[in-house]
Amino acid sequence: MSRVAEEVQGSVDPLEARWVELARGGDEEAFAVLVRAHQDQLYRVALRMTGNPHDAQDILQEAFLQAWQHLPSFRRDAQFSTWITRIVINRCHNLRRARRPTDPLPDEAEPAAAMPQAPAAEALAMAAQRRDAVRQALLALPFDQRAPLVLTTFGGYTHAETGRILGISENAAKVRAHRARRALAIILREWR
Amino acid sequence: MPPDGVPAGPPPEDSDRLACGKPVDDLLAQVTDGAPPRDPEHQRGCPHCRAALAELEDLWAPVRDLAAEHVRAPAGLLQAVMAQIRELSRNAWQAVLHDPVGQTRIAARVVGAVARLAAESVPHVTLALGGGHAAGPMEATADPARVAGPEGEAATDIGVAGTHVVIDVQIAVDFGVPIPQVADQVRRRVAHHIATHTGLTTTEVNVTVVDVRQPPADH
Repeated sequence: MSRVAEEVQGSVDPLEARWVELARGGDEEAFAVLVRAHQDQLYRVALRMTGNPHDAQDILQEAFLQAWQHLPSFRRDAQFSTWITRIVINRCHNLRRARRPTDPLPDEAEPAAAMPQAPAAEALAMAAQRRDAVRQALLALPFDQRAPLVLTTFGGYTHAETGRILGISENAAKVRAHRARRALAIILREWR
Repeated sequence: MPPDGVPAGPPPEDSDRLACGKPVDDLLAQVTDGAPPRDPEHQRGCPHCRAALAELEDLWAPVRDLAAEHVRAPAGLLQAVMAQIRELSRNAWQAVLHDPVGQTRIAARVVGAVARLAAESVPHVTLALGGGHAAGPMEATADPARVAGPEGEAATDIGVAGTHVVIDVQIAVDFGVPIPQVADQVRRRVAHHIATHTGLTTTEVNVTVVDVRQPPADH
């Protein structure tokens, strides 16, 4: 299990609780520490949820701002990571996915054409293409499936933590994640 | 690759069970979620299970690749977030006047604007910037240049300054005028305007002279 998954199972990290406490009191530097600590993980989640780096960045910026404004209402016994991830997921939900569903991602432009035609390069290009297919397939999943799948498979969160983030039970999170993995496998098979 | 002569297992959507009777979902969970095999003994010997597993592994490999991809937040994100937050703390506080029939909230920039216009109406003041911060609970005593309620009257909310405000104005004055007198005049006029226009009480008006300028030529 990833570091994140271990963390979220444990109790509240006392050092982080201290930063949160300071940030609640208006300490901007303390909040910067929290942003630095969580931005990569949250960006990964937002990127896989939206499939678009610009959207992911916008969502993160707005989510952090929202977190700053609502820190006073943050429950101290909760995990900051759960809370902020939940804000990010909600913002992903609100994002109009229909906006650019078929735009190519910046890093998938002409994956194979520019590459030298050596066998190793071909294999690399093929692997890149198949990863792109996964990115697109994720976007084809309904939100209810995409969120638990992204959180577990791509974010490394446990089913329990995923449930807390999505406001559902651990078992419901497990069922939805499994359903989503099956749906993803079906899409990938169809596209092959 | 599936073993020779054995057709690949049916796709997960085609049927719930393989030809050997094992649920496809179990194999899917095994491959995609690392679940332990339900029946490892059977699996080792069953061509259907092995074929289906091989196919699922191949299907899921790019998902694993993508999940393992190193993803980092854009370099400018932290800075952008912090810039927005600083902007917010500068402008987000409100003064609150309580009245039996409701409350009046006056945004910080309104207080700042009134202070600025009042200061600029004083002769020999050529430019003024008015306003300041709502102090968070911890900043109230740390930085007197920030706008907050007076000591002892704690802000009830983050960003709410109460009925008493501390005004911080920066001015530029004409060269040659007595600065203390001008500053004093600014102080009195700001306090008067704030009281008249907003109903707030100024407990302090801090005047900072940041520049002197050549008065406009009038000879």
